[in-house]
Amino acid sequence: LAEMNASRQNINLMQLVYGNSTTVSVAAINGSIDEESDDEKFFKPKGEGTKKSKEGLDDDLNAEDCSKFKILSQNDWKDEEVKEKIRDRFVKMGWSKAARAGQVPE
Amino acid sequence: MAKISFKKLRGSQYLRLRLLLSTLSSTPILIEDIRADSMMPGLRPHEISFLRLLEKVCDGCKVEINETGTKLKYKPGIIMGGKHLSHDCGLSRSIGYFLEPLIVLALFGKKPLTISLRGITNDSKDPSVDTFKSTTLPILKHFGVNSDGLDLKIQSRAVAPGGGGEVILSVPILQGGLTAVSWIDEGLVKRIRGVTFSTRVSVQFENTMIHAARGIMNPMLADIHIFTDHKAGPLAGKSPGYGISLVAETTSGCFISADTAVCYARVEDESGVEDDEKKYLIPAEEVGEQIAGDLFAEIEQGGVVDSTHQGLLFLLCALCPQDVSKVRVGKLSPYGIETLRHIRDFLDVKFVIKPDPDTETVILKCVGCGLKNLSRKVS
Repeated sequence: LAEMNASRQNINLMQLVYGNSTTVSVAAINGSIDEESDDEKFFKPKGEGTKKSKEGLDDDLNAEDCSKFKILSQNDWKDEEVKEKIRDRFVKMGWSKAARAGQVPE
Repeated sequence: MAKISFKKLRGSQYLRLRLLLSTLSSTPILIEDIRADSMMPGLRPHEISFLRLLEKVCDGCKVEINETGTKLKYKPGIIMGGKHLSHDCGLSRSIGYFLEPLIVLALFGKKPLTISLRGITNDSKDPSVDTFKSTTLPILKHFGVNSDGLDLKIQSRAVAPGGGGEVILSVPILQGGLTAVSWIDEGLVKRIRGVTFSTRVSVQFENTMIHAARGIMNPMLADIHIFTDHKAGPLAGKSPGYGISLVAETTSGCFISADTAVCYARVEDESGVEDDEKKYLIPAEEVGEQIAGDLFAEIEQGGVVDSTHQGLLFLLCALCPQDVSKVRVGKLSPYGIETLRHIRDFLDVKFVIKPDPDTETVILKCVGCGLKNLSRKVS
């Protein structure tokens, strides 16, 4: 079941990015000249992708050209519990490893 | 002369990406409806400036803009590169805006590129020159770009609205092409480096930012060094400002960055709302805490690059020889997604995108388009 779920997600992501497979193949054939299909490409993902791309950036024709993307994180990084969540992403601190094992750092 | 068929596009969105891909794939493009409904229709100064930059770096490219600037015809030429070039990036976007596409373009040039770019070195909208140096350049090295000729020198710094900074970018050309990567191991964060800067304000702002950022980060990691770069006099541009760029380096050689800068708003900013917000400057302490949090959010998200560099990563994968590249990123960023779409349209490279539910990351695979450095062969 998990595998099925994973494969469905996989398709969804592909669809989210590239739109429907039929649109893609049509677009790939005559995409260079056909303005209509271009339009389709711009607007297609909106319906499908409302869940993930709710920023709606990709739907504005004249959206700002900006690669920087700020992750909207509600985490308060001053909170020790929140920090614990990403602790396993860090190399353990060598000099205080023993001292810190099992205890919340200050 | 045969009639050229232009690839038709609409709107000002992703203009840099489109022009870059158009040049790399030698596809002429025609963009219509550029801010046609806007109060100030047409191309913005930074977009014009980028086109001028393309003209400087390329030979034989043709740019036609209609009277109102809502229609742009671009026929790419040959990427030349060259030494001792210089370009004024203007004041409407920072130098980072120009660096991002330029660095990819220059790799496929005829000669190595050395160019001096003048303008705003740090702002909050685009990756700062520090991030570029600490994060973007190492990403290129993963793809086999020779690190000898690859460098960014920060001569002087400047923030908006005055500008007046200068950097010198040198990019080598690709001899054999990029190397396909299998880059899915994020590793663990082993050290955090950073640079703060201040122009025309006291160095104390930098110390405050460092102190605040360290307050968040120190409990997680011992190996943290944040350098200061206080500029004064002619090296500091014309406007006061301060900012910070952090980069987390992992055991597997990934670089995850976060940066920001604080300065007074540009006068010509059309969005009045933003203006009001920026009337006062965010205190240095808040900036430090915020950026440390941003960095942690990027680390938490996972992936071999941060969300800002996703587009570049995909682009480099797609430009690889016909070989499989495999990369892991965190949640796809809007710019990353749009880059994937444009890569499909221009280079006909489609990625296989698979989520990895265990780590909540995404694995992307593609076969590169095998773009050769055509410019170099012509000679």
